[in-house]
Amino acid sequence: MTHPVKIVMVEDDHGHAKLIEKNIRRANINNEIKHFDDGGSALDYLFSAEVLANGPLLILLDLNLPDMSGTDILEKVKSDDRLRRAPVVVLTTTDDKVEIQRCYDLGCNVYITKPVDYESFAGAIRQLGLFLSVMQAPEIE
Amino acid sequence: MDLSVRSTWSRIGEFLRTPSLARSVMGLLAVAFSLLLAVNVVTFVMSQRTAQTNDQIETAQAMRRDARTVLIATLDAETAQRGFLLTGRSEFLQPYRQAQEVLGPATARLHRAAMDDPSLWPSVRRIEELATTKQAELASTLRMAREGRIGPAIQAVRSGQGKVVMDDLRAAVADFDQLKSTRIAARSESSERLARATVAANVTAALLVLVLAGLSAWLVRRYVIEIQGARDQLNQMNAGLEATVEERTGDLIRANEEIQRFAYIVSHDLRAPLVNVMGYTSELEQAGKVIDNAITEAQKVREVQPDVVMAVREDMPEAIGFIRASTEKMDRLINAILKLSREGRRNLSPETLDMTAMAQNIADSVHHQTDASGARIVVETLPVLESDRLSMEQIFGNLIDNAVKYLDHDRPGEIVVSGQEVPGGWTVYRIADNGRGIAPRDHERIFELFRRSGRQDRTGEGLGLAFVRNSVRRLGGTIDVESELGKGSTFILKFPKRLIVSEPGAAL
Repeated sequence: MTHPVKIVMVEDDHGHAKLIEKNIRRANINNEIKHFDDGGSALDYLFSAEVLANGPLLILLDLNLPDMSGTDILEKVKSDDRLRRAPVVVLTTTDDKVEIQRCYDLGCNVYITKPVDYESFAGAIRQLGLFLSVMQAPEIE
Repeated sequence: MDLSVRSTWSRIGEFLRTPSLARSVMGLLAVAFSLLLAVNVVTFVMSQRTAQTNDQIETAQAMRRDARTVLIATLDAETAQRGFLLTGRSEFLQPYRQAQEVLGPATARLHRAAMDDPSLWPSVRRIEELATTKQAELASTLRMAREGRIGPAIQAVRSGQGKVVMDDLRAAVADFDQLKSTRIAARSESSERLARATVAANVTAALLVLVLAGLSAWLVRRYVIEIQGARDQLNQMNAGLEATVEERTGDLIRANEEIQRFAYIVSHDLRAPLVNVMGYTSELEQAGKVIDNAITEAQKVREVQPDVVMAVREDMPEAIGFIRASTEKMDRLINAILKLSREGRRNLSPETLDMTAMAQNIADSVHHQTDASGARIVVETLPVLESDRLSMEQIFGNLIDNAVKYLDHDRPGEIVVSGQEVPGGWTVYRIADNGRGIAPRDHERIFELFRRSGRQDRTGEGLGLAFVRNSVRRLGGTIDVESELGKGSTFILKFPKRLIVSEPGAAL
């Protein structure tokens, strides 16, 4: 039996979170979205027994979090034997070359910069939705 | 003249008042020289006096000789007289005549010598008198004998008068001899004393000079040690200075990095809320359209309040338009800051650049604009430069773009790019245009971020020149502008011929 992919969104800005969710829904992606607004609670959830029981995951990650950097979460996820197969999409305002490189080095699967221009932003999210609809996420063992 | 003398004096006074090694050594040398001089003078005086004494001794000896000559000659004359009186033969008178010849000059010499020394006068007078008396006695007896009066002549001799005179003369000469030899002895002794004193003075002076030389050597040695100490201290201070410079440079680099980080953080943290402002403005706009449609539907069945229609169809779109325009502007400004901050962090890689080709490429890239307005860009042969390619392209690109952008449409535009090497390892480039020019009060302002000059009839954010100046400074150069409003502007770039990057990627 295959489980639907669950989307874990780590985003401290509620406005951004809402906009992302809206645009994902507009792209006809109806998967469950679990939102965390700080790194600590997101990590607690990711490393809990519940995640193991509930199948595949996709992580949407912001880099500027109040309690830690998104790269810390990325590092922990990608160094964990079970979680490292989960695709991670970094979605953040930072378009710094060094930062992007660092994320890919740590094993991030997609890096998307949030454009200030709303049309581009919405477009990017919808394309992400399109991407998510055809993407196959592995089971978490 | 008077002034210079006075200043010389005051300088000498200053020198004498200030304790220093030079003063001490000069003092010692002066003492040594005056000692030597004194010894020389003393020696000279002594030798003069010795010579004088020797002269006196010689004179005294001569006088003794003369006195004796007088006595001997008188004795010879007496012997001749007696021989003649006894024999009557004239050849016995030969010694008498010889004695007469000797006697005269000897007496005269004695007389002259005595005139120089009055103390000798009585003795010499007496010798002279006695000699004269004796001569007179001899002459009278001989005359008597020649006249044939031998008897009275012998009588005269026999009277013993001549013998008395002769004895007196002998005694007088002996006295004189005695006197003279005493004096000679005294003088010899004083001469010896003088000689001893001279030797003593010379030895003392020599010793003193040796002591002074030793003292000078000691002073110089001490001074050399002091100088060495001072030099060591200076070296230490130099080392400390280098450490200080390094420390300051480190502080500067840290401060610079701090600013870069600050610009970076501000840019990103300011961007996040803007995403929301823009996003929800669009959401509002969408919602407004929904309401608009609802009103259109409602108007088909009934009258809608005009202020509601006004609010939805005019006020809301206007408000949303302003919010959007401002947010977009804000975004451009943030991006500009971000670009500046990124440029400041970019690693520079110096290479040899064909500036003529680079400038020509840039000129060609804007030819569609220049052709449209009938302007032309002249690129002269430019000196090559060793610097960072990307930065130079951005600098020249910005300046040439600006020159084209702000040409005056009333006259055919002409932009001249020139350059030459200047002494001191620098290269100067000039980008001159005959455009609208810049008012003097704006010559500094145009290089500031977000500041623009003149009529705001061209698009732009006021970033280009701020960016250019930032880049020029990073490359170790300077940028200046010469401009007259309505005539044109010349931007003058000055770069080191070779860019030296102290540390790869150092944000200096």
